[in-house]
Amino acid sequence: MKTTCFIRVPSFCTPISPIIRKHLQKSFNKTGHYNQNHISTLNSAQTSISTSPSSPAPSTSHKPQTPVFLRPLIYSSTFPDLQSFTSWAKTLVSSVGSTFVQLDNGSDSTLLLRELRWLLEDSIDDPSLIPHLGICQNGGITSNTGSSSTEVVRLRVSLGQMYQLWKQRIQERRPFQYIVGCEHWRDLVLSVEEGVLIPRPETEKIVDLVGNVVGGNEMLREGLWADLGTGSGALAIGIARILGKNGRVIATDLSPTAISVAKFNVERYGLQDIIEIKQGSWFSPLVHVEGELDGLVCNPPYIPSEDIGSLQAEVAKHEPRLALDGGVEGMDNLLHLCERTAAMLKPGGFFAFETNGEKQCRLLANHMENEMTGSFRDVNIVSDFADIPRFLTGFCD
Amino acid sequence: MPNLLARRSYLRSLFLPPKPSIDVFLIHTQSELRNTNLCSSNSRRFSISNSFVYVPFYLGSKMLPHTPKSSEFVSNHYCSAHLHHQHCQFWSLSGKAPILGHGCGVSSIIIYFQAPNSLENVKISSEYNRNRVISNGVMLFCSHAAVEPSTSDGLTVERIIGNQWTILDESASDWKSHASAIAQSVHLIKKRLQWKKLMVRLEQLSAELNKPNIWDDPVHAGKISREHGSLMGKVKEVKAFEQDLCEHIDMIKLAREEGDAELESETMKALLRMRRDSKEKELDALLSGDHDSCSCFIEVQAGAGGTESMDWAAMVMQMYKAWAQRHGYGVTVVDEMPGEIAGIKRATIKLDGEYAFGYAKAEAGVHRLVRISPFDSGKRRHTSFAAVAVIPILEDVSSRIQISESDLRIERFRAGGAGGQHVNTTESAVRITHIPTGITATCQNERSQHQNKASAMAVLQSRVDQLEMARQAQMNAQHTQSLTEISWGNQIRTYVLHPYQMVKDLRTNYEVSDPDSVLEGDLDGFILCFLSAALDKDEDAP
Ligand SMILES: C[S@@+](CC[C@H](N)C(=O)[O-])C[C@H]1O[C@@H](n2cnc3c(N)ncnc32)[C@H](O)[C@@H]1O
Repeated sequence: MKTTCFIRVPSFCTPISPIIRKHLQKSFNKTGHYNQNHISTLNSAQTSISTSPSSPAPSTSHKPQTPVFLRPLIYSSTFPDLQSFTSWAKTLVSSVGSTFVQLDNGSDSTLLLRELRWLLEDSIDDPSLIPHLGICQNGGITSNTGSSSTEVVRLRVSLGQMYQLWKQRIQERRPFQYIVGCEHWRDLVLSVEEGVLIPRPETEKIVDLVGNVVGGNEMLREGLWADLGTGSGALAIGIARILGKNGRVIATDLSPTAISVAKFNVERYGLQDIIEIKQGSWFSPLVHVEGELDGLVCNPPYIPSEDIGSLQAEVAKHEPRLALDGGVEGMDNLLHLCERTAAMLKPGGFFAFETNGEKQCRLLANHMENEMTGSFRDVNIVSDFADIPRFLTGFCD
Repeated sequence: MPNLLARRSYLRSLFLPPKPSIDVFLIHTQSELRNTNLCSSNSRRFSISNSFVYVPFYLGSKMLPHTPKSSEFVSNHYCSAHLHHQHCQFWSLSGKAPILGHGCGVSSIIIYFQAPNSLENVKISSEYNRNRVISNGVMLFCSHAAVEPSTSDGLTVERIIGNQWTILDESASDWKSHASAIAQSVHLIKKRLQWKKLMVRLEQLSAELNKPNIWDDPVHAGKISREHGSLMGKVKEVKAFEQDLCEHIDMIKLAREEGDAELESETMKALLRMRRDSKEKELDALLSGDHDSCSCFIEVQAGAGGTESMDWAAMVMQMYKAWAQRHGYGVTVVDEMPGEIAGIKRATIKLDGEYAFGYAKAEAGVHRLVRISPFDSGKRRHTSFAAVAVIPILEDVSSRIQISESDLRIERFRAGGAGGQHVNTTESAVRITHIPTGITATCQNERSQHQNKASAMAVLQSRVDQLEMARQAQMNAQHTQSLTEISWGNQIRTYVLHPYQMVKDLRTNYEVSDPDSVLEGDLDGFILCFLSAALDKDEDAP
């Protein structure tokens, strides 16, 4: 029992909304990492006044999992055994056909086959064997040449685990990224696991947006940035790598799992001197830098609560609700961020938020214009790859 | 009055194998003699150090006992000792000159004289005899036209080729075979250099340089002299190579006459080294196009004919993957559109490595297959086509076309739906369209969208560059064509699996009877044959 684990929510920050508390409870119950006692810790923490936000973050007992591709090569199998695994896995895939697509716009068999190849890539010592496993339907004339049958193939997960993992992928629709424990995002390979949102390709663009503004602006390039609700640490790491040598990033999250996974990723990219990770709700870990931030990015949970049940199974059944649920309209967090951003940023500081789409972008832009007149300038709605208005960017006036 | 300087080098020291060679220098002043780099053309095998003595012969017309009338000189009349680059003294050397007998081995004899203008293509013979050092037949070139190097009995590279001696395997100890192979390579290298044109140009430049007032315009003179120097360097290198060949032949004949087995085997080894060396040089010469050294993309597209063609396209792609692996190139699949039942509709792979483009460009065009289709239940013979395009990846960033972001349309696949946090998909394929040209590129093989975009951008960049290159050069060379431009009539090679077995290149008529080995990537014969044929065309072009 992980008795040392608790969540501290400093009291003089925004109180945790009932929605969030509800989600926290749900997600804790779900992942099974926390028992009822911890929930009450959480509840009592909310009413506690004594905790200071600037004291060191509480240690969490959560130990991040190692992604498959980083595990040692301690297992082995033979080429024919791997071939039978592959053909079994392919049968499973073909049984899926397009059912997932029809069900909830999930993956089709082409995609699943590609994932199977990636699973093999991550697990096998020598990826040059993969083309010979018969994974590709389109191998042309040579398909099964190359390896002699007795050859031992070294693996990072046991063959038994591979069967189990692929079964989970197809039958439970466990996200592929949780299966292999990583997500390729931009030029990074980030560790992810249950309890942490798998970073989305749309979000990659926020780093580009930041890249554009820091390009010609030394203050921003050498400045202090914050990534709120950092999850796996994706945005913080992406941004830290494009800032100047004096640039710093504070990454925060409320979820202890996210905090430990983000730490793992930050250290893997050797950025621990540039990125500071703090646990807490939204701005509470940042009160000591109020008005000093040069940039602020956030991809907060923005899905309207009632939509969550109907999401693609990989998302609805496996990803943390805390990372998705944005309240009735999905705007709770975004509005809260909006309120405090002007106070947190220096004049000339830049912000970028991700939203659920056009409606939220407009609502937010209007809110800034009408309710917070004079706080921001150059507020801009930016579309993602699929041409969906996705991001709201602007500067503090 | 041009001065001529010939050096005959011998090495007969205890440490080095016997190795005669000749360098010829054109010099204009005495001081130039001192500064001329007297390193042997064989300096890659040994270098002449101060411990060797140069023995220049002075044959200045003043000092010659008679004005040269015939083209025959006897050179052992005057000589001077010359220690490396230090100054010369002249004295007579006649008969068995003592200087040749000195201890550390004579390295070279230098013949230097002011040639009367009338002299051209003079051949000078000199003869020394000192136990085992025997040689005769020093060649001289005058300043106007370089004489073709030849053996003492008049064999030249051209004549060797004319003789059509059979080229045997390297392991065969047959000097004619080696000589023939070397001559072939030299021939090819000359073609690549556009030898005839080059010689004409050199002549012009020499004439220009000989004008007395040339240095009145130093900028112009500098330019001329630099070009002259660079062309001269190329000519000298080839000439030296030819000269080496001739000398080796002389040497081997001599060794046979004298029954010197050691000398014969040494010379044979030297010939073999030359043969390998020339093969390398030949390859360098074949691959000296502007972008030949670049990495490249290979694109294959199935022709009409459904599954059978798509299967053929996949076979062709597989052939290139295998070929690339043999060459040690990195192979990455950038984009692949699979067929419904088998094969591919089209695919793009990237080959990373030196000269990938130089070789692969020979493959651009339409490849035709004749076989009994495994997809035809009636077991009939089918003919299918696959088009291949090869695109260089320009290394020099400055020569690339600047593509502006605003000219691009970037699309995600399966973009329907709300996206963002709603969806977790590993589908991150990206298609980029360059709006002004309509060129598109797709990538779905990377695991992040960012990387797919970067890969697709690289393909797009190369395609746009290629379009521009083709526009600029206004050349219709196949290897600059994109897939869409390649006409299906433009067949370059036929692969027949049934009723007989054959692969034949329609451009060069090169053919083999073993399609399997070709489909497994044994393409070098086809490629090299095409590349040298392409040189012939260049040479013939005006
Ligand atoms: C949509 S995820 C984004 C994760 C990451 N930034 C990314 O783009 O992949 C939202 C994140 O916000 C965190 N979060 C939710 N409520 C929070 C709160 N009150 N304070 C801080 N972080 C919170 C979640 O744990 C989750 O990691």
